[in-house]
Amino acid sequence: MAVNCYFTFPTVYFALRAEAVLKDSGCSFKMVPVPRAISSSCGTALRCPCEEIDAIKEVLENNKVQWDNVHLLQEEEPRPRSRGLLARKEARA
Amino acid sequence: MTTKAPNLYFDNAATTWPKPESVCRAVEANLRQSFGNPGRSGLSRSLESDRVVYQTRQKVADFFHIEDPSRLVFAFNATDALNMAIKGLLNRGDHVIFTAMEHNSVLRPLGSLRRDGFITTTAVPCDKEGRPDLDYLEKAFTPRTKLVICSHASNVTGTILPVDTICLLAHQKGAFLLVDAAQSAGVLPIDLSLLEADLLAFTGHKGLLGPPGTGGLYVREGIDLKPWREGGTGSFSEEDLQPQVMPEKMEAGTLNTTGLAGLQAGIEFIQETGIDEIRRHELKMRRLLKSKLLALPGLTVYGPADDAQCVGVLSFTVEGVDCGELGRLLEDPYGIITRTGLHCAPLAHKAIGTFPQGTVRLSPGYFTREEDVERVALALEEILRVKV
Repeated sequence: MAVNCYFTFPTVYFALRAEAVLKDSGCSFKMVPVPRAISSSCGTALRCPCEEIDAIKEVLENNKVQWDNVHLLQEEEPRPRSRGLLARKEARA
Repeated sequence: MTTKAPNLYFDNAATTWPKPESVCRAVEANLRQSFGNPGRSGLSRSLESDRVVYQTRQKVADFFHIEDPSRLVFAFNATDALNMAIKGLLNRGDHVIFTAMEHNSVLRPLGSLRRDGFITTTAVPCDKEGRPDLDYLEKAFTPRTKLVICSHASNVTGTILPVDTICLLAHQKGAFLLVDAAQSAGVLPIDLSLLEADLLAFTGHKGLLGPPGTGGLYVREGIDLKPWREGGTGSFSEEDLQPQVMPEKMEAGTLNTTGLAGLQAGIEFIQETGIDEIRRHELKMRRLLKSKLLALPGLTVYGPADDAQCVGVLSFTVEGVDCGELGRLLEDPYGIITRTGLHCAPLAHKAIGTFPQGTVRLSPGYFTREEDVERVALALEEILRVKV
């Protein structure tokens, strides 16, 4: 189990603006669908390691990007076994 | 775009053609590579489409000097954007002032609202050169005047209208200004940090050199429009009312992502070429056309005497010859594409004295060459030798 951080946004426009302004910031993040455990007005969220929260908030604030909330979520790491199964299937195809 | 074949397409005021190669490539690449739906889900394929929309919005905003790109709403053309503005802004009892040079995309939405008793309107007369009577305009305001609508440039005469002056007048009287930039975007510089228009509608398929089905509306901060199209936005999905956040509030339904990719490339082409260079070339072609046309017998050219007050649109008639027939003869056998008739702007034709028969409109573009203009002049000379 690992804790991940999710930024949610009021609109797709602001989610994309967040991605654009963070691209060259050196922050580590990924745009992902909003997990069902979180309530958000926009379906796209920004996922990042918790230690990046402050740096990301600063970049967003400096660029007038609105966000709704920052959620912390305990998540299971993806199991390597399932990837292996998929890889074997692809190899057969 | 280099082509040896003659480019006898003189209907750039309707749709510019040819498009820059980069626009064609951008459209094809988008169709082949980007297959996700924008604004839905945040999965990587969908995000690719989102990025196209985002980047194009940023590109258009920079091009028009719009500080906050979220105030730029994508539409499917200028007509769509004008409807969005007119139907989104007006309330029962409002009064609207518009100029006689306006297109049916303004006249008809206003017409139906007026017919239904929803609004009242005043048309500002224009002179033979397509210039609005500013004294008349100033006196037309009532305490209920909510909106003034003015074309940036006429699609009939090419006349550039004094939008700055009209903007000042409207604001002095507490009204909003909606600018129809269908004929000017991409050929006249538009700086919305200087021109304080409240709303500006444009299309992507004319001067901006993009594909049809693209365009947009700029909505100044503080102006609240009712969305005239409601539905999926990829946000606030649990709510049964349209979200109120710009720009998605106004953009229900899947956007024309492929077209927007082309629009982005079109604007890049303009930025690389330089809008001043495009303007210089179009004016040069218009001047040349006009001088050739004026040398022909029985021919009348419309619009301002000073070419610098025009975009690349030139209307003419020939005494005693039907303009539809002229257009047909120019196309067959000469292969010259023009637009004849009323150009969806009946009041403009009334102003210049060509209603109801209309005119033949020649609109050169950035890819028109001198030899193409020569061919038009020769063709007309031949036609008139028989006809007049």
